[in-house]
Amino acid sequence: MDVIKRKKELVQEFSPMLEKSTKTSKIWIAFLVGVILVGLVAFVIQVVKGHIVTGMRDNVVWGIYIINFIFFVCLSYSGAFISGILHFFKTPWKNSVSRIVEIITVLSLIIGPIFILLCIGRLDRLYYLFLYPRIQSPITWDIIAIMTDLLGCFIYLYLTFIPDFAMLRDNSENAPKWRQKLYKTLAIKYYDTPTQRETLHKITRTMSVMVIALAIVAYSVLAWIFSLTLQPGWNSSIFAPYFIIAGLYSGVSVIIIAMYLIRKFYHLDHYIRKVHFMGAGVILLIISLLFGYFTFSEYFSRWFSHKIEDVKLLDTLFNRYFWNFIFANYIGVLVPVVILFFKKFRTIKSVTFAAVIAILGLYMNRYLIVVPTLESPYMPIQDTRPEYIHYTATWIEWALSFAGIAAFILFFILIMKLVPIIPMSGIIDNEREQKRKPHLSNNH
Amino acid sequence: MRTKIYTLIFVALAFLINTKSFAQEVNLKNYRVRFGLSTTKQADNSRKLEVSYIAANKKDRKDRVPIYGADINFYNVTEDEDILLGTAKTDKEGTAQLIVPAKQAYTANAEGYINLKAVFDGTDALDSEEDELAIKDVFLELNLKEIDSVKTVILNAYTLDSLQTKIPIDETEIVFSIGGMISNMPIKREFVSDGAFKFEFPEHISGDKNGNVDVIASIIDNDNYGNVFQKKNIDWGINKQITHETNKLWSEAAPIWMYVVLSILLIGVWANYAYSIKNLFDIKKEGKELELKSQNEN
Repeated sequence: MDVIKRKKELVQEFSPMLEKSTKTSKIWIAFLVGVILVGLVAFVIQVVKGHIVTGMRDNVVWGIYIINFIFFVCLSYSGAFISGILHFFKTPWKNSVSRIVEIITVLSLIIGPIFILLCIGRLDRLYYLFLYPRIQSPITWDIIAIMTDLLGCFIYLYLTFIPDFAMLRDNSENAPKWRQKLYKTLAIKYYDTPTQRETLHKITRTMSVMVIALAIVAYSVLAWIFSLTLQPGWNSSIFAPYFIIAGLYSGVSVIIIAMYLIRKFYHLDHYIRKVHFMGAGVILLIISLLFGYFTFSEYFSRWFSHKIEDVKLLDTLFNRYFWNFIFANYIGVLVPVVILFFKKFRTIKSVTFAAVIAILGLYMNRYLIVVPTLESPYMPIQDTRPEYIHYTATWIEWALSFAGIAAFILFFILIMKLVPIIPMSGIIDNEREQKRKPHLSNNH
Repeated sequence: MRTKIYTLIFVALAFLINTKSFAQEVNLKNYRVRFGLSTTKQADNSRKLEVSYIAANKKDRKDRVPIYGADINFYNVTEDEDILLGTAKTDKEGTAQLIVPAKQAYTANAEGYINLKAVFDGTDALDSEEDELAIKDVFLELNLKEIDSVKTVILNAYTLDSLQTKIPIDETEIVFSIGGMISNMPIKREFVSDGAFKFEFPEHISGDKNGNVDVIASIIDNDNYGNVFQKKNIDWGINKQITHETNKLWSEAAPIWMYVVLSILLIGVWANYAYSIKNLFDIKKEGKELELKSQNEN
């Protein structure tokens, strides 16, 4: 195999994806920028007028911002976890999904913490967290975990990008100067020599183990922010593993949706194949069963123990939030299970549909963990206005939430403009491996 | 409803306004006035005289309105005259209290009973009220002694006749208890005979920080004696040192193990980052050397 020639072919194959923009993609990018701008307007209004423009009040001090934070951060942790597993165990079809996972990991870890900043009433005092940290506070642990994880994920993502940057540097003669210069800088003089390759593989493998461990620690710390309080609905010993499973549930679902969209819009049917969706579908099935089991255990023990506060919380969930509860914990679990359990139901579209339902159900599950719990405090609420007791998100909060999602998608598209979504180096490695061991099938 | 009547009565009594208004009569008609006198002989031998003056709704038991600001006169009733002991006003609970000092000499009847009377003279709005009771002046002598290393509570209960001779009381229930912050804890309940009783003080009774306990002997709501209390303080309690476990999470510094765990985790992770970055520099260095070599060859 002429590696140099093959590399050139691959760069040529993926170049249109990097350099050309269709009319649809331009409209789509303009739309995303528009949503982000609306979010910025909402942000300015919130900064000027304060949190009064949100639905957050004395009792329900956390709203959809914190839910977005949990959602994105869990997405990131699950991305890191899955990516680490794919790399460490050299999963045969890792090449098709690993970059999607890695980009999701880093982007969601950048977007997620922005939402926690939006929850802070006095942003001007933010630096106090760093000046006067309390090691005994789960918030401090979370800050440390997020920053450490963010840097780790950046390094990890960069390590996986280096061989592709090198290939693009060597084969982008027709690309604009700035792009050539950028690839040259980012490729850090990587020439795919056996020593360089071995060194890079070694540290990527080590980092893959590190991000798995980091994801578990960071997941647990995030769960402890809730479960270490005595708040009914949060004070639970299984919250950390429950969060890990829930995070993986959302992570795998988002990966499936991203795979579907990328495959459809970039015509990558050859690389992202049905077998990948089937594999991801089976993983989603296992995680959905685990998630359903954890959800049942969590609520069952609360119901059975019959503590006054828990009973009040369950009353709220089964009355005021009845349909939300049904959607989050029945439809959001059972529909994916039914679709994914029967082989004949498993098609690319149905697996993606199951992933969409799982994502929506999980988001609602997060909402039910945060809002009804804060609406059911230990002390009875008296002589206070209804809007202080019950939470409804305002347009400001929704605008900022959608801006976060739009930013996530926009950055994803921009990164795909910088480097191919299918790692070219992975294809080369795969072909090398195949040549060495011809009995291995080519699964990308 | 309750507040309305309460205000009306308060105003009526405080300002003695002639309130023969229709509304007032209609409201009061539904209420039955309860006026009760009780007495408590205290540990220092002073006597507390207490009147409870409350209007209770005839139909609704829970609707009880205290009569506030009513002047109550307390008397020692003798055959010849009523000797005024003092006057007290009812408070917001409808209670008037008078503490008669220990040195007060009461006049008792031939059977040794002291007749006490509380009188409310009445206003234009409220009828006059009075209540009487007759009690014997009982003395509780409480002694706390260690007899052969046994902590013993000894009680002598008696009355005095006209010649100041001690007459032991009989068949009267005495309750022994340990004083507490919110309520007392009973440790013995016994009917005394011949005015004397003793028992071994129980072990394992917690005292204050010095091991002190209040041992209380009491006669409660007795027809002949009313309420009588006697109290002694002694260091028979367990000197239980309560060590306040300071919650490490609220303290200035975190527990050591937390620093250790966090340091190990962070050092492990960041060392790995440093190792990865160092390797990246090695890759770059090798690439540079390759470039130089290729330039030299060209």
